[in-house]
Amino acid sequence: MTSVAHPAGRQLASFAVASEPGNERVALARVAEAVAGCGLTGARLERLKTAVAEATMNAIEHGNRNQPEIPVDVEVTQDGPDIIVAITDRGGEHTAPETTGAGPAVTPDLELKLAGEQSPRGWGLFLIRNMVDAMQVSTDGPWHTIQLTMRTGGGHD
Amino acid sequence: MTKRVCAAAVHAVDGTAVIELTGEVDGSAAAVLNAAYQQAIADGTAQTVVLDFARVDYINSTGIALIVSVLAQARAQRRKVVASGLSEHYREIFDITRLSDFIEVFGDLNTALADAGSLREG
Repeated sequence: MTSVAHPAGRQLASFAVASEPGNERVALARVAEAVAGCGLTGARLERLKTAVAEATMNAIEHGNRNQPEIPVDVEVTQDGPDIIVAITDRGGEHTAPETTGAGPAVTPDLELKLAGEQSPRGWGLFLIRNMVDAMQVSTDGPWHTIQLTMRTGGGHD
Repeated sequence: MTKRVCAAAVHAVDGTAVIELTGEVDGSAAAVLNAAYQQAIADGTAQTVVLDFARVDYINSTGIALIVSVLAQARAQRRKVVASGLSEHYREIFDITRLSDFIEVFGDLNTALADAGSLREG
């Protein structure tokens, strides 16, 4: 897949989606299928699905610039109680850090948005950070990976 | 996976405008949602607009941005926006984004309409 270090653990799924808007729904469905039976249910499963969809959207739009021939790679592993989803695009050398999680966090401010002083958009990374137990971003040459971790069993619902 | 394109049905109930959304509220819903809002306020009488999400199965960050845009327009026009029919997950997202500080959330459309009616009568 990529030169980015793979998480240790048991691989549950590895697949790629074309960089076309809407394919984040394909990614979230396949991740949900892969983690079925791993102990992640209810609200926490819904949170992981939202985080996967948002991270895949970012990879398609900002990382691979909506070029369908460039894939977004998705790898799902289980390492003890942790479900880890790694989403990799080819935007490592051109993507603005604030759009990928690699730079300082820009917290969306709804009051500023309603006042027209901030774009209505910009919720993606904010949602990801609030949906999962941990988020890590790494870049290695052209490869840009966002790694989402969700603990099974012990997390708060 | 088959995409369920966003659609909107607009109607009025006792002076309250209702936008019943179906499908996916994402970037492709922009034209539908904006047109629905303009239709909902066209006669100028509605002081409250209900966004009903009972038949919506997906909202992403771009969809949240569209809802923010509708809310911004409504506030500029001194109209109230309320929501109904959100799943527990999307209620949580409304809380995290603070949308629920500005959009009162009701369990279902009838409850939202009852509240709007009681406010009008009060």
